[in-house]
Amino acid sequence: MEAFLNWNFFVELLLSTVRMATPILFVALAETYSERAGLVNIGLDGIMSFGALIGFLIGFRTGNPITGIAAGALSGIAINMIYAFCTIKLCAPQIVYGMALNIFAPALASFIYRLSFSDTSTLIQGVSMKAVPIPVLSKIPIVGPVFFNHIPLVYFAYLLVPVTAVFLNRTKAGLNFKAVGEFPKAAETLGINVTLQKYIASIICGALAGIGGAYLTICYTSTYSEGIVAGRGFIALSAVIFGRWMPTGVLLACLLFGFCDALQIRLQLLSPSTPYQMLQMIPYLCTLFVLAFFGIKKSGPKANGQPYYREER
Amino acid sequence: MNELLKMEHITKHFGEVYANRNINLSVQEGEVHTLLGENGAGKSTLMNILIGLYQPTGGEIYLHGKKVKIESPKAAVRMGIGMVHQHFMLVEAMTVFENIILGSKKDSSIFINKEQMKKDILELAGKYGLDVELDKTITEISVGAQQRVEILKALYRGAELLILDEPTAALTDIETEGLFAIIRKLTGENKSVIFISHKMREVLAISNRITILRAGETVTTLDKDKTDGIQLANLMIGREMVPSHYRKVTAPGDLVLDLEHVDYQKLHKHSGLNDVSLTVKKGEVLGIAGVDGNGQSQLAQLAAGIIAPDAGIVTLKADRISKFAPNGFILSHVSHVPEDRNKMGLIGNMTVRENLVLKSTEEKRFSYGRGALLKRKSISAFALDMQKKNDIRCASIEQEVRNLSGGNQQKIILARELENDPELLVAVHPTRGLDIGAARYVHDTMIAARDKGCGILLISADFDEILNLSDRIIVMFEGRVMGVYTGDNPPIEEISLAMAGKGK
Amino acid sequence: MKQNDNLTKVIIPIISILVAFVIGGIIILCLGKNPIKAYGYLFSGAFGSSRKVAQTLVIANPLIFTGLTAAISYKCGVFNLGGEGQFIIGAIASIFFVTKSGMEGIPAILLSLLIGAASGAIWGAIPGILKITRGLNEMIVSIMLNYVAALFMGYVYTTLLRDGSVPQTYAIPDSTKIAVISKNFPIHWGIGIALFLAFAGYYFLFHTSKGFKLRAVGLNATASFFNGFPVNRYILFSFIISGAVAGLGGSVELHGKQLRLMDGFGQGYGFDGVAIALIAQLNPIGTAIVAFIFAVLRKGASTLQTGMQVPTAVVDIIQALVIIFAVAGTALLKLPSMKQIFSKQSVKKEGTNKWKLF
Repeated sequence: MEAFLNWNFFVELLLSTVRMATPILFVALAETYSERAGLVNIGLDGIMSFGALIGFLIGFRTGNPITGIAAGALSGIAINMIYAFCTIKLCAPQIVYGMALNIFAPALASFIYRLSFSDTSTLIQGVSMKAVPIPVLSKIPIVGPVFFNHIPLVYFAYLLVPVTAVFLNRTKAGLNFKAVGEFPKAAETLGINVTLQKYIASIICGALAGIGGAYLTICYTSTYSEGIVAGRGFIALSAVIFGRWMPTGVLLACLLFGFCDALQIRLQLLSPSTPYQMLQMIPYLCTLFVLAFFGIKKSGPKANGQPYYREER
Repeated sequence: MNELLKMEHITKHFGEVYANRNINLSVQEGEVHTLLGENGAGKSTLMNILIGLYQPTGGEIYLHGKKVKIESPKAAVRMGIGMVHQHFMLVEAMTVFENIILGSKKDSSIFINKEQMKKDILELAGKYGLDVELDKTITEISVGAQQRVEILKALYRGAELLILDEPTAALTDIETEGLFAIIRKLTGENKSVIFISHKMREVLAISNRITILRAGETVTTLDKDKTDGIQLANLMIGREMVPSHYRKVTAPGDLVLDLEHVDYQKLHKHSGLNDVSLTVKKGEVLGIAGVDGNGQSQLAQLAAGIIAPDAGIVTLKADRISKFAPNGFILSHVSHVPEDRNKMGLIGNMTVRENLVLKSTEEKRFSYGRGALLKRKSISAFALDMQKKNDIRCASIEQEVRNLSGGNQQKIILARELENDPELLVAVHPTRGLDIGAARYVHDTMIAARDKGCGILLISADFDEILNLSDRIIVMFEGRVMGVYTGDNPPIEEISLAMAGKGK
Repeated sequence: MKQNDNLTKVIIPIISILVAFVIGGIIILCLGKNPIKAYGYLFSGAFGSSRKVAQTLVIANPLIFTGLTAAISYKCGVFNLGGEGQFIIGAIASIFFVTKSGMEGIPAILLSLLIGAASGAIWGAIPGILKITRGLNEMIVSIMLNYVAALFMGYVYTTLLRDGSVPQTYAIPDSTKIAVISKNFPIHWGIGIALFLAFAGYYFLFHTSKGFKLRAVGLNATASFFNGFPVNRYILFSFIISGAVAGLGGSVELHGKQLRLMDGFGQGYGFDGVAIALIAQLNPIGTAIVAFIFAVLRKGASTLQTGMQVPTAVVDIIQALVIIFAVAGTALLKLPSMKQIFSKQSVKKEGTNKWKLF
């Protein structure tokens, strides 16, 4: 218990929080864009696992983490296009297609993995990213190492938050985008191309979720294993609800879940007598309690989840 | 005056069905031109063509004498055509300002230049007497204000031709006057207005010319001065319509529904009830007059036992109705024709047959052992019988209800609700969206039920309907009862004033 | 038209399966193997002998349970994605009961199954209660509970009920194993429970008043409410029933096949059940059939791998493709434009019909 009072421990914990919140943040922002355009995508887990695999594979083959991440993004987009086409063009139920992604994408990922690596029993070492400390800022006591000594991808994730906030709240494009999720018919009568906006939202969603997955196999660990996603897609879904579909709220929610993740790992070391599985439950139980206490009835973009039937011309 | 718009030989069909056939319409600059026709006559289709949502399958459109093709809503806006839909196209979560600038491309900047844009909008608003509060969200403003926002939206995009679709449906008389004043200002600045309505009084008050559509075709175009309400009504329907005259009941039976000093969310002016007391007796129609949004929905739900009052007592016959016995009110014979038949009354994806027995599946005639095994044959036989008796037009009773027309959907609901001879029927906007024939059928059916002894609580924003059917009339305004009037020779002026809040 | 509807409901899954098989064949071709031979191996692996059929049924059994969980709940408008967690909790409850109570024989089995079902019902009720009282998204809640259940099971077999050095629990006593039908047909009687539930589910949904009302709630909760249905009660009921089915499935799997808890127990059954239910268009009997087809694929996959070195992942892909096509097919047919092609009478569009003035 003395460890808790150790300053270093706290700094380490916060540092870890920031790192572990990152993949969730990517995916939560992905879903924020998607839901603001009216598309509820529960297939995030699936997109993440596919992005994780492709990112790992390309990173391994090229030896370059950046190409790995880029590949993760592209693969996320590709696989989300299945969802996008079926829900936007065919107006299929979004929940069902999200589930289809969750089933299809990991299977595809698994298949490609087996094809690429004959020996699947050992964990293959892939490529990883190096941390890039920001000059000056990273030297500030406490705050420095916690916030300013990370790999570039982490900075990117956190920068996305203000970028998204500005986009949604200050730009015309953002206003039009939001209208698509609120009242698509009205948007259409005002000349906004609802279908195009939804596709764009799906592309962004796929890209960010794919990056989130690739982060897991390139930055978080340097290996690929099935189940690495561990339900983060669904945690991200609750982050969006908890954060009220706003980037700043989503960020706070992700930090909370990242904290839980970081905490449970450390608690395992600190308290070996406590069964580790119970500690591993913490992030999931936390999600549950957070949702239960900030129980949100029916909010979010008004037309969220509803298929949009375009009038024929 | 110059001609602004000409639509020539416009035809539009969907598959084998013709929505518009060979329609001719001409609108002058600075004119108020009314498009008159009942539901299903083709007005919406024609307007959708004009605003670029549909492409005509035949015919030409001319603006300022030049032939044009309106390929999309964007194109329509560019050409100066703006529409105020009957159901407003406003994003509720956004502010008035945001709704006005939505999708506009006035300047090329990425960021919203709030100060400048607000200034421009307020200037425009002042020019036409449109009073708006830019920073309020849509949910915070009144229906009349929302309409002004819609008009401003169109003007902000440079509309020269404004289409108003049933603009007075949700307005009080006073708000309607306000709207007319705005229309006159618009035409004063040489803008044109296409006015879509079926309220004769208003049509005759505001129009310059009137074009009548019937069954997808143009009947004729008349000058306002050369016609009257009766001629217009007949042209609209295509035959001499004998106005219905139902006898009024002055000596009804026992009490069926009694509301005593009922409060429900009384601080909500537009969805609450404040000290409401009223009675409905067997064999009479109590009509609740008033513009939508003054507590009528809540009154209906209270009477039907779906919600419970915050204060006061709701008595059905001798038993109290409370929210904790949701099935109770069915057993006590309260039938409900809800205001939104698709959302509240019918299960769209279920068949006609299933909807007809929706509440009765546990009855002995339809199942063994209170629902343990459904008697398929009995149910089908019953449904066929109901279909015949109520003239429900459908391909078969196995058709999904959402594919039926509004009139037939309403017939299903009425058939179901009146089938077991209820003692109380709560009917909310029962003829909304129905053509005259179907509306007439609904009225006849309701009066027949009344004459059999059913007490009817009728809520409608259609004043004529209330006058026509009610034996007694109550006016509701902002959740309060403004007055009780007899339905036999009712004092129309007084009631109109009461509906606008100026009462006793 | 309802008759056409019923026909399409059967045709779509069949076509999806065929198309998926064709694509699978193409993939096998790309791997340099003969697809016809491959499918031969696959089917002989699943149907080759009565023994093999029984083994296929063993694989199908848990999938029928979780498939029914998904089908019943979705039919009532409720997205119970917690089948896996409810399955596991049922098994955990059962093994605790059997190990601690010392009961024997058939009464023990029956009681254990009951306890399993009840536990699954409770685990399923949690998202239900949270949905009714707080409007929470039941999908997220139920999936979080899946992870909690799986982790708890890990704790059980590594610590609480551990059997020696291997991370697994004690086996259930011999007398509490569910008997096998016959030596030549080695599938346990649990399959009988599964099939019974499939038929019972179908009967309930389509031939009883309660089932009818539940379906109504699933299709339009608002209208159901306005027509006096106790919607919240029905929602909770759906969660409880579907959870109970999954919990029962976990118990049956424990008593009939696995006999003990270990790593991987129940893994993937939840989402598989969802996929199966979707392909079967939420029809309980169809669910059982599709579950069987999935089992055929799985059983055949291992034969395919040993016989022709085709990786089992190919079969996974085929499975996933079936899902995508089946669901896409349904969506395609539901499009308004497609409906106009199929239905000659367009009663909705009030067009020009001069005689239709009434």
